[in-house]
Amino acid sequence: MNLQEYFSLVFSDYTLRTITLGTAILGAVTGMLGSFAVLRKQSLLGDAISHAALPGIALAFLITGAKDSNTLLIGALVSGLLGTFWIRGIISKTHLKSDTALGLILSLFFGFGMLLLTFIQKQPNANQAGLDKYLFGQAATLVESDVWLMAIITGICVLVMLLFWKEFKLLLFDADYTKTLGFNTKIIDILITTFIVLAIVLGLQTVGVVLMSAMLLAPAAAARQWTNSLSTMVFLAAIFGAFSGVFGTAISASQDNLSTGPVIVLVASVFVIFSFVFSPSRGLLFRQIRFISNRRDLELQKTLSFMYHIAETHDDISHPHTIKILNNFQGFTRKTLQKLVDKNYVTLDGTMWSLTEEGFETAANLYNQNIKTHE
Amino acid sequence: MNSAQFEIQVIASLVAIACAIPGTFLVLRKMAMISDAISHSILPGIVVGFFITQDLNSPWLILLAAFTGVITVALVERIQKTGLVKEDTAIGLVFPALFSIGVIMIAKNANDVHLDVDAVLLGELAFAPFDRLSVGGTDIGPKSLWVIGTILTITIGLLIAFFKELKVSTFDPGLSASLGFSPLIIHYGLMTVSSVTTVGAFDAVGAILVVALMIAPAACAYLLTTDLKKMLGLAVFFGVFSAISGYWVAHWLDASIAGSITTMLGVVFLLIYLFAPSKGLIAVMYRDKQQRIEVSLLTFLLHLKNHSEERERHVNHLNEHINWQKVKSETVLDLALKNNMIVIKKKIVSLTEKGDEFTSQAIDYIITNEDAQIEDMKDDFFLFRG
Repeated sequence: MNLQEYFSLVFSDYTLRTITLGTAILGAVTGMLGSFAVLRKQSLLGDAISHAALPGIALAFLITGAKDSNTLLIGALVSGLLGTFWIRGIISKTHLKSDTALGLILSLFFGFGMLLLTFIQKQPNANQAGLDKYLFGQAATLVESDVWLMAIITGICVLVMLLFWKEFKLLLFDADYTKTLGFNTKIIDILITTFIVLAIVLGLQTVGVVLMSAMLLAPAAAARQWTNSLSTMVFLAAIFGAFSGVFGTAISASQDNLSTGPVIVLVASVFVIFSFVFSPSRGLLFRQIRFISNRRDLELQKTLSFMYHIAETHDDISHPHTIKILNNFQGFTRKTLQKLVDKNYVTLDGTMWSLTEEGFETAANLYNQNIKTHE
Repeated sequence: MNSAQFEIQVIASLVAIACAIPGTFLVLRKMAMISDAISHSILPGIVVGFFITQDLNSPWLILLAAFTGVITVALVERIQKTGLVKEDTAIGLVFPALFSIGVIMIAKNANDVHLDVDAVLLGELAFAPFDRLSVGGTDIGPKSLWVIGTILTITIGLLIAFFKELKVSTFDPGLSASLGFSPLIIHYGLMTVSSVTTVGAFDAVGAILVVALMIAPAACAYLLTTDLKKMLGLAVFFGVFSAISGYWVAHWLDASIAGSITTMLGVVFLLIYLFAPSKGLIAVMYRDKQQRIEVSLLTFLLHLKNHSEERERHVNHLNEHINWQKVKSETVLDLALKNNMIVIKKKIVSLTEKGDEFTSQAIDYIITNEDAQIEDMKDDFFLFRG
């Protein structure tokens, strides 16, 4: 199946439609909530939570014996939240730093989850196959009810976010001020964290434990480059996330042997790289261009002030001089000289140049300013 | 216990020691999550190395994969330097991307690669004794024993040779730079050792559980001591203890060895987190409570010293004026009485000579902004603590 076939089939084929919709919604909700995680400097929390959810899935299966995805998700949610609050506890009550706490919970919970999974595999229960899809995710196992669940939870997320937008925003940028205004920061904090955990848990089935953190981070990190406004960032992150989901699914469906999760992550990474390079205000490309043009300006001014010093020694400021005396000057080229002519600071006559009245004035002021700023 | 079981335990213990040493420094340098990033992003290196060598235990594969780990660290630092995102975001962006590339490379070549993502992530210690190394036809032990043994020997050699440099640069980067130790070389040296250890150990315990073996023993040790040498020793001890006890738990449950080693580490950490003598949760909470009462006591004594009128010193007045709940005022009164700082006559509270002296000294310290001195003073005056 090539990409064209995919797009013609996406509206008619049940499986493709479900998976595409599912990954798109997932991308949108993780992008949205990921913005908060990134801005709160909790980028790696997602990684820890997604790993910490594994024992919950295994335990939920052990207790209920059913492979119903909703039950497993509740297990994942509980163990994800437990991991999150334990991380908080370690950071606030001991002198271990946040990175150690994250790494600890991540690896210990995951290891315990693996122990349970291998234990389950040895059990005489035919129902247990397929639990390991939560490790790497299998978008192909999504069914319509899963997509509905995602859509409903996304709806609730959006609703709560709109309701508490002001509080979320305040807490994000000035936690102390929020407290002095009388908001219960603990509850707002728990609310945001719970939603982040929820989004991660939703994605486990599709993208898997290992790659879930990228789904949370990449769209948000990409969106951050294009704007300084929180609402725009959340909106953009949702769009980037959704597109990563759709493109990722499309690419993986059009090739053999290509699991969806990694492809989605790579598409999202491409979004990030593109944003890093091409964002107009923060991007590396435009920053470099601005840097070069600033340097040119500075050199132009240097040339002008050099000319001014020569002209100063003559009674007639437009006394012509040969271009040769500029030749040793750093940053001087025929092009920069032409630029000075274009600005009407200098006139050229064959191999001779002379300052104009305007150029002399500008250079004189330039010089004064330099002195002023120097003091 | 047969020889295979013995060999598994030896390998697990060696892996635990090899991980605990760099892990200790990672934890102290606040770079624990880097080990997680490395453990994921070595996957493409392992895959490419496997294409070339066709042998998971080949030294070339280990070097190549370790090189990918070092590249990850460099990439993270490069992204961080642009100032576009914070360090943790940079880590979170780099390793899933590299890991995805690895997964896709495996999936695309599934037919001619006998390499499973599960195996890379989770490892299988139980099979380690069956892949044997023989020299000139004689069997000299499992391959992974030799691999991890070599890595461990090199790590210990480097640790002894550069202990002083590592110590200085970990605790005072500024001093170490001014003494002429290049922070960059030490940083990348540590990163290289961590990468090599991760790659060497993934075969046995899996890439993710390497993270547990690096961070958890060091974190446990950090809660018990503040001496670097003791911390290294304790980390090694916890690592080996969990490795051996984990093996027997796995044996008993018939489950993944790596999983149960990690679970044992989790149990050890939980116990230490709760019960560590001075930094554990219970000790911290007890100390918090003690200090809260002692601060209340001090406030109370200051109040008494400021007011000579009887109305202000009536027992019932405490509840109204300082606005304490009844239980709290009782605890505070009780403590003050036990320490002979007050006497109560006809429900009127007055300071004793000792209480007066204590309060005056405390005021002196508070006025001169040397509040910390009050802690030492408490040792001199208090018979009972809060």
